[in-house]
Amino acid sequence: MQTVFQILLTALQIGAIYVLFSLGLTLIFGVMRVVNFAHGQFFTLAALLVAVVDPWLAAQGWSGPFAYFGAVVAGIAAALALGAIVYRFGFRYFQRDLTGSFILSVGLVLLCEGVFLDVFGGSVRVVPPVVRGDVAILGANIAAQRLVLGGVAVASTVLLYWVLAATRFGKAMRAVSIDHEAAMLQGIPCERIAFQGFLIATTLGAVAGALIAPISAVTPVLGADYLVKGFIAVIIGGLGSVPGAIVGSLFIALIESVGGFVFDPSIANMAIFVLVMIVLMVKPNGLLGRG
Amino acid sequence: MAHPSRSFAAASCLVGLFVMGTLVPTHASAAEIIKLGLSVPLSGAAANWGKGGEWLCKQAAQEIAKSGGVKVDGKVYDFECIAYDNKYNAADGTKVAQTLLTRDNVKFIGGSLGTAPVRALQSLSERDGVLLFTTAWGKAIKGPKFPLTFTQMNTVYEISKPLVGYVKQANPGIKTVALLNPNDATGQDVESASRASWEALGVKVVSSDWYERGTTEFQPIAAKIAALKTDAVDLGAAPPPDAGFVFKELKALGWNGVKVVEVGSGAEGILATGHEAAEGVYMGAAMTFDSPATTAKQKALNDGGKAATGESLNAIQIGFYDSVYALKAAMEKAQSIDPKRVAAALPTVTFESFYGKSAFGGAASYGSAQQILVPVLVTQLKDGKLAELQRIAPEELKSR
Repeated sequence: MQTVFQILLTALQIGAIYVLFSLGLTLIFGVMRVVNFAHGQFFTLAALLVAVVDPWLAAQGWSGPFAYFGAVVAGIAAALALGAIVYRFGFRYFQRDLTGSFILSVGLVLLCEGVFLDVFGGSVRVVPPVVRGDVAILGANIAAQRLVLGGVAVASTVLLYWVLAATRFGKAMRAVSIDHEAAMLQGIPCERIAFQGFLIATTLGAVAGALIAPISAVTPVLGADYLVKGFIAVIIGGLGSVPGAIVGSLFIALIESVGGFVFDPSIANMAIFVLVMIVLMVKPNGLLGRG
Repeated sequence: MAHPSRSFAAASCLVGLFVMGTLVPTHASAAEIIKLGLSVPLSGAAANWGKGGEWLCKQAAQEIAKSGGVKVDGKVYDFECIAYDNKYNAADGTKVAQTLLTRDNVKFIGGSLGTAPVRALQSLSERDGVLLFTTAWGKAIKGPKFPLTFTQMNTVYEISKPLVGYVKQANPGIKTVALLNPNDATGQDVESASRASWEALGVKVVSSDWYERGTTEFQPIAAKIAALKTDAVDLGAAPPPDAGFVFKELKALGWNGVKVVEVGSGAEGILATGHEAAEGVYMGAAMTFDSPATTAKQKALNDGGKAATGESLNAIQIGFYDSVYALKAAMEKAQSIDPKRVAAALPTVTFESFYGKSAFGGAASYGSAQQILVPVLVTQLKDGKLAELQRIAPEELKSR
């Protein structure tokens, strides 16, 4: 029983990052009808900035948590700047153009990876954990840092839900995602909503990157693995569906956790791909996707 | 008719050039360059190995140039190291191979890292008559079928038996072990050798698992290993950052057995990710630089390497230094820079490696003398520092 609970706890904390990552992906698709493969670069840039700025701030005399918080702010700001540039000079012209946005985003991936490698180098960077020690929950152990990560991910998801459900801006974004022409007729500024939605998605990706930095090996290609899993989660859940992204992410995390425990990580990875193929054959729009 | 001042100016220039040509010494005796290609990971978890290897190749090349270069057939040659990122996979290894052999027209590969990219490179190098040095650990990577391939460091077949033997002797209570390796050619080679070493000592291999390079989430596999409650965990070919993460997750789950990393190459990488969980790890490819046996040259090189890469030098990187000196010795013995003649001379020469006198041998194990003969060092992390536990010199070297 303790083992089962350990596996579930592992799945939840792995899934927390996938949820944040895939929410950004699904938001961009929902609002702009584009598939952004460069989303992983916002994630990576934030993680890299945290890995660089955190030790620098610590060397200036900032205490651990404050140095990390300062680094997170820097990482998110840098990712937002990159997102704004990428939207302004790129995706803005490819809304509702799947082929064009695909080519653009793949090109951006290559460009960003090359620039990150050149600027940050290829070696692994390590961020010291902000919260040390392990926590026992009903006999299962989890690192305190991962618990914090999970908590922030849940809070971010709840906040996003509230924004989408209860605010004027959220309603406008949902209207644009359902039917952008009808939304325009209602006087909703679709262009501005698309830009703001893109920035929110970028922020989610950046937050995920900043959270993963203390528990992961930060390299310029960190986002690649999460991008693949994030896309699978979004496809399983349904492109453009926020609840679908959450369900898909937790599903992927469960497969990874159970598969990695019962077999090994390599087989777990294969199982994820096999499952997405099965889901697409049975439900091409995903579990919670619209037609 | 030309303007007199213009004619005078043109004549002055011609005279000036003539004078410069006669007075400025020409470099008729300048050294020619022999390019040494390097196929190494410069990004990802193994990037430190590649960067350190590149740095050491350049150091060796500079030292040789300063001491007069390589003298062959009345000419003097200097080495130039050219490195490209193979990302530790076959696809990028193939791109690097094409770049080095086809575009850069390299005739000597000074070093290559990662069995998968090395196999891609070897398929071209043997065909094109290019001499290849490699740190790849596969047994099948060398032999009479690959006469131009030479291994520039101890492989798992040299390391595993003494390392595992020492660990078992120091921890006689070990009855079970779990193996975890990267899921590629290197990991497969290491797994078979380490499994054989453990089983030969009566230790049961309870599980043998694989993970993809680039994995960042090790908790599920750590949960599996912890649940097995094995006495030891051997992480085989896992690079130091990956190994540190695995041990950290194992510690968080309450596992506290004997830790082994066959390709463990140093303290800094594993401590950076594993922190206190890395304490006590036994390693097979690391080297200490603060023991009484450390020479001034080794210390100076280590200090330089540490400044360049952030970590102490290790056996994997040192191979890139040794190969350059081996090439010099073989070229001067053969009095040729033809790769095939140099390859024929390599097994017959001795040279000053990082560790001292060295040579190539291993014909009994591999079918031909293509394995560098350097000592195996068994080390352990104690109180955050690397300690040398045992140094085993190859028997074959003693007779050379």
